[in-house]
Amino acid sequence: MGWQKRLLVAGAAAVVALTAACGGGQVRGAGGAEGAGSSPAAAGSDATFVYVPNLDVVTDWDPATSYSNEITAMQNIYESLTKYDPQSQKPVPRLATSWTSSKDGRTWTFKLREGAKFHTGRAVDAQAAKESIERTIKEAGGPAYIWDSVASIEATDPHTLTFDLKYAAPLDLIASSDYGAYVYDTRAAGSGDLKDWFGQGKDAGSGPYTVASWQKGKETELTLKAFDGYWGGWSGAHYRNIAFRVTPELTTAWQLLQRGEVTFVQRLNPQLFAQARDQGMQTSQTPSFQNLLALFNTASGPLRDVRLRQAVQKAIDYDGLVSALKGAGVAASGLVPEGLLGHVEGQAPKQDLAGAAELLKQAGYGPGGKPLDLTMTYAQGDDDQQILATLLTSALKGLNVNLTAKPLQWNTQWDQGKSEDPAKRQDIFVMYWYPDYADAYSWFVNVFHSSPKPSFNLSYLKDDAVDSKIEELPQLTATDRTAAQSVYAGLQSEIIGRQAAVAVAYTQNYQRAYAKGVQGYTDNPAYPNVVFVHDLTPGA
Amino acid sequence: MTTVELRGTPLRRVGNLARADVLATVGAVILAVIVLAALLAPWLAPYPADGGSATHPAEALLPPGADHWFGTDQVGRDVFTRILFGARTSLFIAVAVLGLAAVAGVTLGVVAGYAGGVVRDVIMRITDVFLAFPALLLSLALAVVLQPSVTTVIVAIAVTWWPWYARLTASVAQSVAGRGFIDAARCLGVPAPKIVFRHVLPNSLTPVLVQLSLDAGGVILTASALSYLGLGAQEPAAEWGLMVEQGQTLFTTDWWVVTFPGLAILVTAFAFNVLGEGLRAGLDPHRRAR
Repeated sequence: MGWQKRLLVAGAAAVVALTAACGGGQVRGAGGAEGAGSSPAAAGSDATFVYVPNLDVVTDWDPATSYSNEITAMQNIYESLTKYDPQSQKPVPRLATSWTSSKDGRTWTFKLREGAKFHTGRAVDAQAAKESIERTIKEAGGPAYIWDSVASIEATDPHTLTFDLKYAAPLDLIASSDYGAYVYDTRAAGSGDLKDWFGQGKDAGSGPYTVASWQKGKETELTLKAFDGYWGGWSGAHYRNIAFRVTPELTTAWQLLQRGEVTFVQRLNPQLFAQARDQGMQTSQTPSFQNLLALFNTASGPLRDVRLRQAVQKAIDYDGLVSALKGAGVAASGLVPEGLLGHVEGQAPKQDLAGAAELLKQAGYGPGGKPLDLTMTYAQGDDDQQILATLLTSALKGLNVNLTAKPLQWNTQWDQGKSEDPAKRQDIFVMYWYPDYADAYSWFVNVFHSSPKPSFNLSYLKDDAVDSKIEELPQLTATDRTAAQSVYAGLQSEIIGRQAAVAVAYTQNYQRAYAKGVQGYTDNPAYPNVVFVHDLTPGA
Repeated sequence: MTTVELRGTPLRRVGNLARADVLATVGAVILAVIVLAALLAPWLAPYPADGGSATHPAEALLPPGADHWFGTDQVGRDVFTRILFGARTSLFIAVAVLGLAAVAGVTLGVVAGYAGGVVRDVIMRITDVFLAFPALLLSLALAVVLQPSVTTVIVAIAVTWWPWYARLTASVAQSVAGRGFIDAARCLGVPAPKIVFRHVLPNSLTPVLVQLSLDAGGVILTASALSYLGLGAQEPAAEWGLMVEQGQTLFTTDWWVVTFPGLAILVTAFAFNVLGEGLRAGLDPHRRAR
């Protein structure tokens, strides 16, 4: 056979392979035994809830420093003192049954639940809670900042925990945080190193489930099993096992759900979501506390010029983006999503190409001026961010601005953003943000407060006045919510308006699809992507 | 393959070839249509602005119908329009890559073939180094290092393509250089560059022309693969590989976004291949003699 014929065959094979890849291809594990992945919806004493995430589950097993995707498992293994209730928009009891605060908001007393036990067998008492929070503060991982206001913790008696604060703060809300608020047995490793012990995939929580198996990199990466000594008990119908089946392709996830091989798909695109709804699956669409930010480089590159940042802000087709997302997003008004203190109404931005052209012209660019070259990085494989990239690139092209939008793996994108050499950083960094507890402070302290080395403050904003306003927020939130609202509003008009450090593209709607038999599921936006499986009832 | 009678006027020869190789004729017709579509895209396209930077998010993902024959994509652009404009990109890449590769490869090849000895050895060893790497891998490596763009794709593919022409031309030029008329030119004192470019080169080009037509499909496939991987053409440019890449997660729900550009790649690569195969059969003296 001539090589040109081989080429033809190879070409045809490539197209077939491409088509297969596009369609999600062979469902992984279909027909084969996939451990806990089979027949999840079967009710009975051993029902397994199969959760489908699109990214690896566990990046850090240590409850003190865990600050990533593992939240979906950790919130079923560990518990915090309180839990945020999205209906009442207040913290409700979890390991603490009641709490009080002093008038000045600087002393908080929590009464702990009796009868709660860690998976290690030790009782959950005030001393254990004190030790675990103190260790979390000492480890100083990503989420440890939530306890910044704490001066000292006292175990007044086995079931009473008292916090003295450096300044007033809403500690009942802070204690409901999705990360960094876990109570755990700090003595689980005995004389060994606790971090190493956790690193082996062991847990020391008090939640309804405990780790059964963990195989990093495997499709069914993690399985959890019921902890029989759970204080909430196991009477009635419950899922006794949870399996996390990592499925990067959305179409494959959807096929697995259709075939009844999995119970819950964390994320579908709007088209598959509509298909799921049409085909009688259970679906849930809930406004989230997660928004998409386009952070502009205020420190180096062409966007140092605020006029250019404002021009890019105006070039974004916000309404078009929401329209193209077909329900996966809603227009954002300000930086703080609806439902949180700090949200401002009536500030949803609009595309203004004439205004953008005028600003570019003032800076010497724009149609008829010199061309402007910009770079933007966003998450590879994220269809919604890709739509933003396409719309913005197209709009800017008409304004004589060449935007190179690079889809990158998160670690590559983040490393580039944090690069010590400003020349290696991007002009626009696109990422999602959601708070660590149901409070807007996280957007400001993590994303817009200056820091010597960039972490998440990837607009590189350095403004002393903004910093000091941000530092006032925790105390004001605890003592004077009206004043706090006013500071939040002022900060947003400064950061988005005057400084143009960010464009808020939209607020995400969570679109979940899950098996017909599941009863009792509600989305809690304060715990992104978490399913509190013990609260569910398996169907027939 | 049927024996072809190669006599009569050029038009008649083409007619004979067409009758003899129906598949090649089909390929040629398809290519003619694609070239015309590419050249006339701004006039043929129902929504010419969609081939550039226009977007209409409110009309995102409309299925094929009377208004949009091939439906619309994620930001509401007409897929048919973008396929027509994508033909421009793909054909431009093919012409540019093959032009660069042929100029470099043929020049080096003809010099190597005529000069022989150390010159030939040096040039051939350099081509060996390039041929030692799988072409797509080398293109990928280059495309990753350079900024993603159509120019990058052209450079990355041309770098891996020229050695084939150098080898082919060198072997043909070597045999041409040994013929009597070249010896005669030498004896008459014609300078070497003139002999190479006036006599050896024109007599070595036929197999290169055949190879070029065969390779065009491969270049388009490779360019599409690089764009599919995000290393080639960038938004809002219309490019078939990029269109497939951006629509891949929509295949089960909005099939038209990925299917039509995929078919465009398939049909174009197929047409170039059958045409090249036909040309080879028609111009190969050994096959003609049978």
